[in-house]
Amino acid sequence: MALIEASSVSRNVATTAGELQILSPLSLSIDAGEVVAIVGTSGSGKSTLLSLLAGLDLPTTGDIVIDNVKLNDLDEEQRAILRGEKIGFIFQSFLLIQSLTALENVMLPAELAGSRDAEKQARELLEKVGLGDRTTHYPNQLSGGEQQRVAIARAFIGQPQILFADEPTGNLDSATGAKVEALLFELNREYGTTLVMVTHDDELAARCDRILRLSAGKLLEPSDG
Amino acid sequence: MGNGTHQETAQVAGQKQSNWHKISWRLLKHELRRGELTIMAAAVALAVCAVLSLSVFSERLQLGLMERSAEFLAADRVLRSRGDEIPTEWLTRAQAENVASARRVTFNSMAFANGELALVDVKAVSDGYPLRGNLETAEEPFIQGEVAEGLPGPGETWVQSTLFQQLGLALGDRLEVGESEFVVTRVLSREPDAGFNVFADSPTVLIHFDELAATALIQPGSRVNYNYLFAGNPADLERFENWLLPQLDEVTQRWRNVQDGDSPLSAALERAERFMLLASLLGVVLAATAVAVAAQRYAQRNFDAVAVMKTLGGRKSQVGKIFTLHLLLLTSASIVVGLLLGIGLQASVVGWVSGALGYDLPATGSGPYLLAIATGLLCALMFSLYPLLRLLKVPPLRVLRRDLTASGLARWLHWVISGGTIFLLMVIYSGSAMLSLALFAGGLLAMLLLLAVSRLFIRASRQAGMQAGSSWRLAMAGLQRRAKENSMQMLSFSVAIMLFLLVLALRHELLEDWRGQLPADAPNYFVVNVASQQAEPMQAMFDRENLSATTLYPIVPGRLTAINGTLVRDAVSKEERDDSEYREGFGRELQLTWQADLPEENTLREGEWFAEGESGVSVESQVADRIGINIGDELTFLIGADEFTVPVSNIRNVDWNTMQPNFYMVFSPNLIENMPATYIASFHLPEERQPELYQLFRDFPQASLIDVDDILQQVRDVISHVSLAVTFVMVLVIGAGALVLVAQVQASLEEREQELVILRTLGAKSALLTRAITYEFVVLGALAGVIATIAMELSIFMLQTQVFNMDPSIHLRFWILGPLVGAGIVALLGWSVCWRLMRQQTGNLIRQLN
Repeated sequence: MALIEASSVSRNVATTAGELQILSPLSLSIDAGEVVAIVGTSGSGKSTLLSLLAGLDLPTTGDIVIDNVKLNDLDEEQRAILRGEKIGFIFQSFLLIQSLTALENVMLPAELAGSRDAEKQARELLEKVGLGDRTTHYPNQLSGGEQQRVAIARAFIGQPQILFADEPTGNLDSATGAKVEALLFELNREYGTTLVMVTHDDELAARCDRILRLSAGKLLEPSDG
Repeated sequence: MGNGTHQETAQVAGQKQSNWHKISWRLLKHELRRGELTIMAAAVALAVCAVLSLSVFSERLQLGLMERSAEFLAADRVLRSRGDEIPTEWLTRAQAENVASARRVTFNSMAFANGELALVDVKAVSDGYPLRGNLETAEEPFIQGEVAEGLPGPGETWVQSTLFQQLGLALGDRLEVGESEFVVTRVLSREPDAGFNVFADSPTVLIHFDELAATALIQPGSRVNYNYLFAGNPADLERFENWLLPQLDEVTQRWRNVQDGDSPLSAALERAERFMLLASLLGVVLAATAVAVAAQRYAQRNFDAVAVMKTLGGRKSQVGKIFTLHLLLLTSASIVVGLLLGIGLQASVVGWVSGALGYDLPATGSGPYLLAIATGLLCALMFSLYPLLRLLKVPPLRVLRRDLTASGLARWLHWVISGGTIFLLMVIYSGSAMLSLALFAGGLLAMLLLLAVSRLFIRASRQAGMQAGSSWRLAMAGLQRRAKENSMQMLSFSVAIMLFLLVLALRHELLEDWRGQLPADAPNYFVVNVASQQAEPMQAMFDRENLSATTLYPIVPGRLTAINGTLVRDAVSKEERDDSEYREGFGRELQLTWQADLPEENTLREGEWFAEGESGVSVESQVADRIGINIGDELTFLIGADEFTVPVSNIRNVDWNTMQPNFYMVFSPNLIENMPATYIASFHLPEERQPELYQLFRDFPQASLIDVDDILQQVRDVISHVSLAVTFVMVLVIGAGALVLVAQVQASLEEREQELVILRTLGAKSALLTRAITYEFVVLGALAGVIATIAMELSIFMLQTQVFNMDPSIHLRFWILGPLVGAGIVALLGWSVCWRLMRQQTGNLIRQLN
């Protein structure tokens, strides 16, 4: 059964020149445990699609259902709760909170959700990503690769059903990128998470179960894979 | 992996206690440690510290000054009554209200000793006198006395030095006054309430009130001053005053307090008070501005944090709680720091001032503390409100679309909240809605003008910069590109520099003005009772001895009886009053003089000084205003048995703060020249020449000398006092201004950080960038300095003429100082922040930007 179901989803934005369709109506479905890459050139609508699937933004038309919940029926608050419960994120620019330590950044989602053993979980995850000795460092005291590993630990702490990754290696050199990539896939396997990843790295995409190709806001291949 | 519906999900989340307060506390702890909140905390702490130390200090100073000034009255309040004694009920009431009272009766009489007669001022006082200040007595005439306990005993009297001279007295001699005889037991060397009335020239004979009746000197028709002295704490006094005042007879009774204006201190006091109030207001506004700038920056820095929290499942209410608690904790901590600093600061300043003055300043209540806490809360919360609301509106989508910020929050809301808060602070602080409104409206107008001018300047500076070298070109291009942001920045730079210059200039003006009133060679003696045939020899003596002395003014006592033919009130007694029309008069005898030239230190307000041969009278301006006398009015005077009428030729301003003979009425020389007159002058005798005093005046035995050194010393005390306070206020205002500058420079550098990093990555040398930034700030600072100087001159003109009653002046050196200080400070701040940025690796910088 599909964990993520998008039907006739489109997204328009208002510009000075009138409405612009940045995502043409598309439908897709992603099963639990699948690893899917969304690829395409810059401006093809990858990130827009990701933001819709993750409930960060609402589609202009169409419906998205995550784990049987229709996102259109939820308000901003309820979508936040849904994200907190079921979804993890990894960003190109890491987006760690600068004034929290590595450990506290990892703990954050668990604490927002009211978890009692946030610190224990966070420590374990930091050990797993190889940063057990960096818990008290602030983001700006860590290298790019280390920051992304902290972000990965943060993404897994709530044991989310779905993990969205936006160009996770885009800001890293290739050697570091490869390590981060390996770590991401490893954890993903371990937790059995559904992974939806935006990338324009073909090698990375090739490691996924399925590739969704976007061009100028249109989905090129049928989504039933 | 739960497959529950969304309702279940929401319920589960609701049941769990989220740890928002932990997150909040953690953010605060780390941000404090990392110095990201320093400016914000410092701004709040400074506002609290400034308000607390200023209000505690000025209140204590005020109380101290009141106490000192009260000594001039020997009481806090004096009820002066002509004729009848007051109802005993009034004194009982005073006692019930905890207000101490004492009696003082004074009148002129003849005293007789060693076969000689002298006119004396008999002063009979009851136990408790003086309620404020001290009597000083000595064993010998004309020496420094010591504080005396109690009053002369039964059959005893203490008399002033001059009477020893006039009657050849020695301690133990008998002095006849009326039907009584007193033993002179001490020399009365100082009375707190000797006053400034140099015409009360006869020496004092102090006796106990209980001895008064036996002298049988008070008969129906005697001219006697009955005074009732009152003293107590302000609240009790106020209650008593409110009860008493409506019952007073406005003609025969007069209620006086230390602020009534006949003390030379009152003008200085009033000005100092206004200055402190104004400067404190400016300080608070500056500190509030710093809070506003810092709060804005604080919110901007946290945009990402909010977006991330919301993305990771943080609900709006959670995020709201996290940052509200964060802000509250920060504010409370800053307020505590501010209070501690304020307490420490005012304690050391008060200690220092008390040390300098030689007496303790009284303590205050809790008012200033509450005021300070309220100011800190208002500043921090109100100025953070809009940035916080904006922060909480940041959408989670920002994690993917990095350019998204908060939307849907009107900018005007920010201005309304900030403006409203500043206005509220002003009202709370000054206690006057009118003053606040005037300042606020003026400030608003000035801001708009400044904004317009700074945009113009920036546009003009671009043209100039285009001709210059590469760092300059970069700087000018930067200025131009950010014209809108820069004009706002320039506005806050200008405001900070302007307030700084304003306080500096005002302080200088005030101190100069006070110093001008009491130069080192201000007269310290009056000589009165100089017979007309001795006026010339005395003038010769002044010249020969090289003493700086005023003109010898002739004095003829007389009364004003009618204005334009209408009798004035004091010409008729209370019993004789009926419904017919009377005008307000002086209620007493006047000392009249004549002069061919306008007296020194007097200025003409209206009309011309007497032409050669013109007959007329010159009237002092305050009296003219009070009684309603205009140029051309016909005034009728009674001198001895002669009555005559003269037109008012001109109205004169008199500076009553100067230690020289001053007159309400000055006649043209041709009118009363031939009346029997005595002469008066004041002169300065340097301290080292004091021993020569007798020698100098040996040839003028009838003349009396009045020593006003004590009074001068008291005035100088107060002024040095107030000068210290004014300096202290200035330092605080400068601190607040500096904080605004630092906050603004930091904020503006953050805005251009991205651009710097890009230029840096593209290979621009750090020296070039640092120079470009520094130049940009030099130009910004210098322009702000110029604008600030112009604004400062305008404000100071308004303040001098409207608030402080001073002559306006131009401050040329500030025209150089303003731009220099502006350019220097702003550039230095910009350079130091930029330098720190440049020391980091480019890669590191790029990472920070993300």
